[in-house]
Amino acid sequence: MHATIQKPIDEILGYLKPDERVFVVGCGNCAAKCHSGGEPETQEMAERLKRKGIKVAGWSCTDSGVSLCKLSIVKKMLNEEHKKESEQADSFLILACGQGIHTVMDATDGGMVHPGCDTIFGGETVNDDFITEYCSLCGECIVEYTGGLCPVTLCAKGLLNGPCGGAKDGKCEVDRNRDCGWQLIYDRLIALGRLDEMEKYKMPKNNSKWSRPRSLAIGEGEATFKSLSGERKVASHA
Amino acid sequence: MSKLKQALESGRFVVTGEIGPPKGVDLDKCLQDAQMLREHVTAINVTDLQSAVLRIGSLAVSARLIERGLEPVYQLTCRDRNRLALQSDLLSAWSLGIENVLCITGDHPILGDHSEAKPVYDLDSVQLLKAASTLNQGHDMAGHELESAPSFFLGAVVTPAAEPLEPQIIKMKKKIEAGAKFFQTQAIYEPEKFEQFMSRIQGYKVPVIAGIVILKSAAMAKFMNANVAGISVPESIIREMEETAKEDRRKKAVELAARIIRQVEPFCQGVHIMPLGWDELVPEIISEVGVIP
Ligand code: SF4
Ligand code: SF4
Repeated sequence: MHATIQKPIDEILGYLKPDERVFVVGCGNCAAKCHSGGEPETQEMAERLKRKGIKVAGWSCTDSGVSLCKLSIVKKMLNEEHKKESEQADSFLILACGQGIHTVMDATDGGMVHPGCDTIFGGETVNDDFITEYCSLCGECIVEYTGGLCPVTLCAKGLLNGPCGGAKDGKCEVDRNRDCGWQLIYDRLIALGRLDEMEKYKMPKNNSKWSRPRSLAIGEGEATFKSLSGERKVASHA
Repeated sequence: MSKLKQALESGRFVVTGEIGPPKGVDLDKCLQDAQMLREHVTAINVTDLQSAVLRIGSLAVSARLIERGLEPVYQLTCRDRNRLALQSDLLSAWSLGIENVLCITGDHPILGDHSEAKPVYDLDSVQLLKAASTLNQGHDMAGHELESAPSFFLGAVVTPAAEPLEPQIIKMKKKIEAGAKFFQTQAIYEPEKFEQFMSRIQGYKVPVIAGIVILKSAAMAKFMNANVAGISVPESIIREMEETAKEDRRKKAVELAARIIRQVEPFCQGVHIMPLGWDELVPEIISEVGVIP
């Protein structure tokens, strides 16, 4: 899940030129779950903009549970279902994550886009109204050695070899209301009887696997991950 | 050769001091503070953007100490530099005559005066020690040979009053394996607890220099208890401070620091005095204790 929050309306209004005709696009999956760009929010944004005197060419949101970040879906939505309004639009305001923004750009052959949301993190939907971050998408997962808990994400400093001296009562030095990630890892390793993992030296991360932008090509029987660390081919099962 | 290394290797009890580089370019005051320590300490720690507050760098100030014939312990944090910059700064440090390096994680930028800065932590303190050891062996951490190698005396930190203590001890062991040859500790106010810690790590056979922070007031003690990890000033000391008249506080501070030093002296290899502004008290404390550097 890509968590997003809507930008303040004044920031969005600041993006739009007088006379610009805008089409509002939402996402029926992640942004809908975050209440930042599902169908009701997309419609509401279109109406708010109209009330502020903005010319709105139209609005549309992918079906419930369907992500905006899939090109074929957005092409169908904007180039078939909403062809006319989309063609009249000078720009698109996207209420979704940055991937969704780019998908709209691709679908409209380089159309003008405006971000309507801030994309804040990728997280676990713990329940309908709580999403939290457990992975930073580093390209080289090491949670085998940390009891399934990610030090890159749960430790404010991303330390790999154990806690800094800043933890107090199990809370992190950056915010005494936040658990120290290494306290969580330590407790979990004890519970699993795997504290020996903490004693082993962990190498620095290979940041080239974290280089951006990265891509994944999924072929028959083989997938290729590309980053600045080079190409990595892995078996892909049909 | 590093006097600190010589002293610790010969088993002598050492006293080290600390100066905080200023926020600006005028080093007069900070060098005067260092000068005051000259006759009393073996080496002087130079903090690296302490509390994540922008100041002049520890590299430059360490070099200035060397010019004056004083021996620095160059503090280097992982907070602000990636592995290229860390290794390069280490090589620069050696070229300036710096031998002692204290490798530390560093406070998070959010706690400092540039809270919007990108926290780097490309390496953690264990990995930094390992990188520095690798430089000592004539290679960079990517395995490439250096044309000429430094020979740093590497130190690290540990928090003996951390709760739980075990993660600290596990990490301490990793730091030793990564090349730490001495340890400095967080401020000690409970010598009994420190003694327990020392007996737990006895097998590690590494010199430990106990941290002594000069306590200025009861308010400071309460603040540290509430906010600083790994420091707990006992009630009895707070009461002692409270019962001291304002004009006698400095005397009390000297007495208290000297008492703690005498209490920890039997089971560690030295003390590291952090004056936090009361630099002029350091000579008094040392003469009160009677340790000879
Ligand atoms: S180690 Fe990397 S891939 Fe694994 S959970 Fe953490 S950030 Fe994600
Ligand atoms: S207190 Fe814990 S979570 Fe916070 S930076 Fe230190 S080790 Fe990481």
